[in-house]
Amino acid sequence: MEILRSDNITMQFGGLTAVKDFNLTLNKGEIVALIGPNGAGKTTAFNMITGVYKPTNGKIYYKGSEITHMAPYQITKLGIARTFQNIRLFKDLSVLENVLIANHLHIKSNVFEALLRLPKYKNEDRKMMRKSLELLEIVGLADEKHEKSSSLPYGKQRRLEIARALATSPELLLLDEPAAGMNPTESEDLTKFIRQIRDDFNLTIFMIEHHMQVVMGISERIYVFDYGITIAHGSPKEIQNNQRVIEAYLGVDENA
Amino acid sequence: MIKMTLDMFLQHLTNGISLGSLYALIAIGYTMVYGILRLINFAHGDIFMMATYFTFFGVLFGGKWYVVFPITIILTALLGMLVEISAYRNLRDAPKISILISAIGASFLIENLAIVIFGGRPKAFPTIPLFTSVVHIRNISIQRLTFIIPVVTVILLLSLLYLINKTKTGMAMRAVSKDHETARLMGINVDRTISITFGIGSALAAVGGIMWGLKFPQIQPLMGVMPGLKCFIAAVIGGIGSISGAVIGGFILGIGEIMLIALLPSLTGYRDAFAFILLIAILLLKPTGIMGEKISEKV
Amino acid sequence: MKKRDYYLTAISLILLIGFIFYADNNMDAYMVRILNLCAIYTILGLSMNLINGFTGLFSLGHAGFMSVGAYVTAILTLSVNAKVQNFFLKPIAAPLSNVVWPFFPALLLGGALTALVGFLIGAPALRLKGDYLAIATLGFAEIIRVIFTNTQTITNGALGLKGIPAYTNLWWSFGIAIFTIVTMILLINSSYGRAFKAIREDEIAAESMGIDLFKHKVLSFTIGAFFAGIGGGLLGNLLGTIDPLMFRFTLTFNILLIIVLGGIGSITGTVISAFVVTIAQEALRFLDQSINLGFVVIPGVAGMRMVVFSILLMLVVLFYRHGLMGTNEFSWDKFLNVISMKKPLLKGGRK
Repeated sequence: MEILRSDNITMQFGGLTAVKDFNLTLNKGEIVALIGPNGAGKTTAFNMITGVYKPTNGKIYYKGSEITHMAPYQITKLGIARTFQNIRLFKDLSVLENVLIANHLHIKSNVFEALLRLPKYKNEDRKMMRKSLELLEIVGLADEKHEKSSSLPYGKQRRLEIARALATSPELLLLDEPAAGMNPTESEDLTKFIRQIRDDFNLTIFMIEHHMQVVMGISERIYVFDYGITIAHGSPKEIQNNQRVIEAYLGVDENA
Repeated sequence: MIKMTLDMFLQHLTNGISLGSLYALIAIGYTMVYGILRLINFAHGDIFMMATYFTFFGVLFGGKWYVVFPITIILTALLGMLVEISAYRNLRDAPKISILISAIGASFLIENLAIVIFGGRPKAFPTIPLFTSVVHIRNISIQRLTFIIPVVTVILLLSLLYLINKTKTGMAMRAVSKDHETARLMGINVDRTISITFGIGSALAAVGGIMWGLKFPQIQPLMGVMPGLKCFIAAVIGGIGSISGAVIGGFILGIGEIMLIALLPSLTGYRDAFAFILLIAILLLKPTGIMGEKISEKV
Repeated sequence: MKKRDYYLTAISLILLIGFIFYADNNMDAYMVRILNLCAIYTILGLSMNLINGFTGLFSLGHAGFMSVGAYVTAILTLSVNAKVQNFFLKPIAAPLSNVVWPFFPALLLGGALTALVGFLIGAPALRLKGDYLAIATLGFAEIIRVIFTNTQTITNGALGLKGIPAYTNLWWSFGIAIFTIVTMILLINSSYGRAFKAIREDEIAAESMGIDLFKHKVLSFTIGAFFAGIGGGLLGNLLGTIDPLMFRFTLTFNILLIIVLGGIGSITGTVISAFVVTIAQEALRFLDQSINLGFVVIPGVAGMRMVVFSILLMLVVLFYRHGLMGTNEFSWDKFLNVISMKKPLLKGGRK
């Protein structure tokens, strides 16, 4: 069942075409990867899907409805969440607060009900707290919940970003280079982790990644970008043997 | 609206062009500093004020105008560079709000130091007959100054554009306003370039200050506040970061302000609000200003 | 909060009430006025800190908000006679000439109208970022001031209003200050407060986590405006006279000074700083006047006080950017540890 589709989306910045005619289909429950050399336009594609950029051309559909010109927060509310290539945690806030904040979008109490600590709000607050603590357990950050998020080591910050994204209760999760900076053992763990959250949370996962170990390990389908153009699309095996991909780039495994 | 003869209209128009030129000269300083540091130099209006005091004291101690004016310009340029070194240099990597507060603090400091040193009561700026004497054209009398101001402004503007576009220093300034790090990697001395930018902007404000003092001979320590604010608005209207934009903005503001009160004298009390209303309008319609370009943030 | 904390807070409140009772009846008018000012600046500082410190919005229009609250409350509380005396140039606009309200409703309406103004200004202005927002809010504050200077029949224009009934006393100012503190604590520790902080930390990330930036910015702005209006109203009924020149940028600067010194993003910091700065501004008044040492008189230099404060602000922002408290808040735990001089755990102390 199709959950996301983009029809020929194009992103132009003045004279530069960052992404050209990208046709993406994501089916529910899939793990799909987007690979390509640096600067190929992958994060730009993410930004178009999540509403940070408005595509110069083309349309995007989520569960059948068009989301092309919606604001990022509206798209997140519909069920698409993301992490960032250059981690964007709320630096001065604690680990727990980072995750709690991502619960706010679903709050039904208004600001007065919250101020007066009415039962309706207190209920919601309790649920948010419970959910956030559970998520921190799952990513293994429960012990650091009161630490300032910027004080965490890099790998843990990445995990926190994922926990935060999960707190928005998404159906589609976009991961931007989740394995960046990880050693082979950590990448192995990440691979298992991604598969697990896909199963446990009923997610569809679309990820940008350079670690071929991770990409080939869990992707069911792969799109390949080069200078904004989709040069190949298929199963991991097909991509590995695709001459054009090999010529453009077949990921140097950074930790090989 | 009041009816007006052609003569009166022309008189108002020339006044507007004069005022617009003064605004333009000061606005350039704001836009250059913003272009290079992404900072609103709140102290710029106060630097303009200090220039008028430098001239006042220079003439008071017996100097001739052709000596005092250049000295004023140099001193003001140095003052501008001093403000940069003390208030802004060390905050380049700090959160934006810190440098904003520092700018406000610097502005207040200069204003209050001026009150303490010069006294709060207005002083009379020297009258120099060469500039302030009046000529008669048809039925109207106009100060020589009213013509001199736009001419000086245009000359300075052309010189500045030449500097920016045709010299190495100018190229360095353009590079630094695009990207500090890359400019540094290309061997440009970023600190020195920034200092020069402040120096030039302050020097232009000094010229503006001298001519302002000749046109409106009463000076006092807080005289830079309103013009400073208005000139910043002029820079925003024209497109902050763009020098030609600052000039355009200055003229729009100057001419608009004069024509507004000329045509609708009952609104004279709202003279200052005119600039602010224009500001709000442009921020809502085209925040990047008339000549401005969008700056997008990498996500 | 732990049971112990409830008791400690309750005891502190009782002590405070006792102190106010004592001060109200025994201290001289000058001291009482300073205490009132401290409380009012606490309210003003907290209202600005919500917008600038917690939500990270560069708003420089606070004086405009205060003026709305001050004028509304003043006009409503001025007696009919006082109105006639004030509006000698042009009589006050007809519907207002007989309207005289008691203090509390007047204050509330002042706050409410200011909140409305905040909403109307925020709607367009908050679409802007950073410096642009700063000058837009500055511009709006100036527009308000110019309007007040020119609406002779409502605000009495440049002449201002005199003879405003002195309703503000320690009970009102401290009472409302406590209310403001409690509201801010409840707000900041709620989900909405966290959303505000998220916006301050990283707008793009906040929006990607589903937070409607515009709605929350306007919310923060409007709430801040409400309290600024109340503070303005209290100020007007304390000083007895107000005029448009009072509400220039200098006033915004003073409050900015308070929140920067106390630590932008700390409620505790703002409260402490409001008291310290207000008292210091009074204490340093001597700099502006002659100092009579008996055998010699050091002439006062007008404006020296502000020079000192400007330097102070610069020093803090250059070297102690986080102010007194940074983003830390008061907690009974920390306080008790400090006064019992226990070594912190990390330095070998005992729990």
